[in-house]
Amino acid sequence: MSAHGAPLRCERLVVGYAGQALLPPCDLEIQRGKLTMVLGRNGAGKTTFFRTVLGLQPPLSGRVVRAPDARIAYVGQALSLDRILPLRARDVVAWGLMGGWSFLQRGNGARRAACLRALAAAGAVELGERNYHDLSEGQKQRVLLARMLASQPDVGFLDEPTAAMDAVAEEEATAQLARLAHEQGLAIVVISHVLGLASRFADEIIFLDRDDAVVVNGPPAAVFAHPSFRRQFGALEVHDGA
Amino acid sequence: MEPEAAVSSWSAFIGAWDIFRNPLLCALGAGAVLGFLGVFVVLRRMVFVSAGVTQSAGLGVALAFYLDIHLGMHLDPLVGAAALALVSTLIMSVDSGRTIKLPRESLLGLVFALSGGAAVLLGDRISQEAHEIDSILFGSAVLVRTFDLVAVLVSGALILALTLWWLRGLVFASFDPDAARVQGLPVNLLDRTLFVSIGIMVGVSARALGSLPVFAFSVLPAAAVLLLGVRLPWAFALATVLGALAGVAGYLFAFFYQFPVGGSQTVMAGLFALLAILIQVLRGRPLRLALPARARAISPPP
Repeated sequence: MSAHGAPLRCERLVVGYAGQALLPPCDLEIQRGKLTMVLGRNGAGKTTFFRTVLGLQPPLSGRVVRAPDARIAYVGQALSLDRILPLRARDVVAWGLMGGWSFLQRGNGARRAACLRALAAAGAVELGERNYHDLSEGQKQRVLLARMLASQPDVGFLDEPTAAMDAVAEEEATAQLARLAHEQGLAIVVISHVLGLASRFADEIIFLDRDDAVVVNGPPAAVFAHPSFRRQFGALEVHDGA
Repeated sequence: MEPEAAVSSWSAFIGAWDIFRNPLLCALGAGAVLGFLGVFVVLRRMVFVSAGVTQSAGLGVALAFYLDIHLGMHLDPLVGAAALALVSTLIMSVDSGRTIKLPRESLLGLVFALSGGAAVLLGDRISQEAHEIDSILFGSAVLVRTFDLVAVLVSGALILALTLWWLRGLVFASFDPDAARVQGLPVNLLDRTLFVSIGIMVGVSARALGSLPVFAFSVLPAAAVLLLGVRLPWAFALATVLGALAGVAGYLFAFFYQFPVGGSQTVMAGLFALLAILIQVLRGRPLRLALPARARAISPPP
């Protein structure tokens, strides 16, 4: 575990591409048992920030420190999985059980049971035998959430998990993420565009702003009070999402 | 080479089994393995990759003949085909936009057009082997050398064994590479392995059977099976069977009806895809018919 007990920490991290920094250096910790939402306008660098923290692209400077035993899982947008891929939902969940070279091991009953447990935790047991591409966007997201849980992560990153959902499904999904973070002690980090959901469900917010060149990190009330945030989004109050 | 007009019965075919054994086994093996790999080709939308690689394999054969005839350098056409197929595979598997600043489609177009054009130019300078170039490009060869057959069967067996062994990782890395990478899978290695496997199989098969049927085997059986909507494990199995079937049935059709072999095998693979489209359309018809029925049911009586 890291010196601070956080499964993942950014130290003077600068993200960008082609040598161009998008944001100033940032220091922050991703903490267990909390739902952290990453906010910012289009082009603010949310995806670049995510990809850098996940190790999918190198930082321009600084570093991302993972606790030695920390497991990370990532869920991209549901639509990014090919629509013609002929898989059952539980086949997609089974991907979450793979890590390193474990794909060389043969399937067994234990793996099937782990998939079922993950589907149950995500409230998606009834979807397991259905074709993944036949599911609604909300159902797909629940299956991808089950895949994330199957990997038993310390930190789960989700890229706009509610992007294709209607308002009701969006709220249910975000509430479910908050519940999972609190009940299972996971660190869950979500990119979102929905400020209302952030104000109701987020425990921590990472606000990225290229215009003012700031990265603001902290509890929602503190971030919402920041001048850059208010300039971008106006005044916002924190509501209790429970 | 053209089949003799007199040879057109089963007894004649069986009587000349020693001649037809190699091409039939080659079509069976290449069709099966390319059919299997074709599921990745179709699902990953790599059809144009397959076209570019087969075209490059044709150029490799032409280059081998050219080197032998004009420069006295002996290079087996099989080696030329496999080498060029591999090189083009590696070029096309680079992360486009980083190493080469071109969208992948443009890169594929470049490899396809350049390989095809260069093969035509080289063919013009080796007219004494022009029939061989035709064989490679369109698959008009009736006979297959034992060396080529062994190369296809050994490569095919090794590639099939490896891809089956790594299948779960290959599928995850193919269809959600970012998540697979975050979970620590060796995504680059898996990706390169798949591309190189396709390159080698296409290269050795194109030398033996011709570019056109090899391209068809690597796309059409998988497309047919995926149109039927079967699940992934079955898609791999059925595409393997259909690929083998297209190779063998195409060869027999060419033999009995005196057609070019490569064209027959290609058409046979195409017929499977058309049949799958037909089945899909027939399956869809009841749904479409049901719509007016429901509409009538909710319509107010006159």
